[in-house]
Amino acid sequence: MRNGGRARLLLVILIVTCLFLITLDLRGVKVISSFKQGSQTIISPFQRAGSVVLTPLKNFLSDVTHLGRTQNQIEKLQAENAKLKSKLIDRTNADAQLKQLKNILDLAGTAGYKVVNAKVISNGSSQSFSQTITIDSGTNAGIKRNMTVLSQFGFAGVVKEVYPTTALIQLASDPSFRIGARIAGSQQIGILTGRGTRSASLQLLDNSTTVKEGDILLSRGSNANRPFVPGVPLGYVTSVDNSAGAVAQTATVRYYTNFSTLGVVAVVVSGSVVNPGDSLVPVKPQVTPIPTVTVFVTPSPSPTK
Amino acid sequence: MRTRQISIAAPIFLIIYIIQESIVSQFRLPGGGFSVLLIFALTWAVLSETEVAAVIGFAAGLLMDLSQSDSGPFGQWSLIMLVAGYAISYIGYGDDNVNANAIGIIFFVVIANLFVEIAYVATGALLGVSSGSLIQVVVTLFGMSIWAFLVSPMMLPIFSRLHALVFDTRSAL
Repeated sequence: MRNGGRARLLLVILIVTCLFLITLDLRGVKVISSFKQGSQTIISPFQRAGSVVLTPLKNFLSDVTHLGRTQNQIEKLQAENAKLKSKLIDRTNADAQLKQLKNILDLAGTAGYKVVNAKVISNGSSQSFSQTITIDSGTNAGIKRNMTVLSQFGFAGVVKEVYPTTALIQLASDPSFRIGARIAGSQQIGILTGRGTRSASLQLLDNSTTVKEGDILLSRGSNANRPFVPGVPLGYVTSVDNSAGAVAQTATVRYYTNFSTLGVVAVVVSGSVVNPGDSLVPVKPQVTPIPTVTVFVTPSPSPTK
Repeated sequence: MRTRQISIAAPIFLIIYIIQESIVSQFRLPGGGFSVLLIFALTWAVLSETEVAAVIGFAAGLLMDLSQSDSGPFGQWSLIMLVAGYAISYIGYGDDNVNANAIGIIFFVVIANLFVEIAYVATGALLGVSSGSLIQVVVTLFGMSIWAFLVSPMMLPIFSRLHALVFDTRSAL
């Protein structure tokens, strides 16, 4: 009985402590964020080490999980695999990251953004239903909260928390993520919301405008370019919901960025002076015509004897 | 005696936390993946008496709150894990059908894992944390339960031995 009373008292004390901590955090007391910052500083060397050691295994698992989604993909990959096999022998992981980096720099260069490049050292745990990554650059590299993060294909996310040597990025796929978007060309505006996957939902703001499949979405931008710089490619419309009675059209959007294969990203530390407009819209791949050669053969007259 | 137990248990929990943050978090597993720390704390709670289970749950929750990928307010995981640890131990401790039986422990851990995540979503909704669409949440909860079901049997012998080491128990599963 006495023991039971002590256990209950302990339980009550701990519950009160938890409620106290929650209240402090919701009121924005700095001590709590300092705790998190301290723990992140301690854990980041382990994450870096883990990233280095596990990169080959991650690449292998990524290859395995992406194989065989559809028969067409398998056939395509097999055909490509034969071509690329000889090239891949000498390729290392650094080559892939270099390519990502080059594309990011091309994107940032076209728009005139000043960026800080960083490697992804950890994918956030999804036990909390959030979509985050950790990068190996932080305040020491000039990164601040609410800065836009780019991938090689376009928009990746926003800096949520920043520490001296690392930063936590909230990905655009996070369910709580919202971004103002405009459609390239028509300039219609709407709000894009993450869904926890590579697809997102677009809600148009004006009921007199329409959206169609294949429309390309760009970021609208924010005051002083934070958290969003304007003109970054977000994704393209894959389906449109035309349900009767809806106040404004909604659509499903597929992000350009594949969030599960992010290796290198760039944080926009300074936006461009002028709005890049539609200049960052990805160029559609050009189909190269294959010349057909027609050979006419005229049979020679059979020799007469 | 308590000092010895805490001095052995604390580094074990810290190591599990580091493994979770630096290794398991590197992989974006389908269906939401799993948390080694969560499974470890729940297993530990099944094997412990209520008082210890509550403290263990609270400590594990604090570590989970420190995780940088946690989107909820600090203390949310502590509260949920504290209640979960106490409840699991209250139901299971002393019942040999549960804690002397590997299948019983795994069943308890998997069910507790599911309820803890549901509690996280529910309290998160009350505290204004967005967890995504209902379908997405249901799929993630289902995926996490499957992962817990797959991972728990592999980890149970290790966790059971660690528990026996700390508490000087003669037998381990």
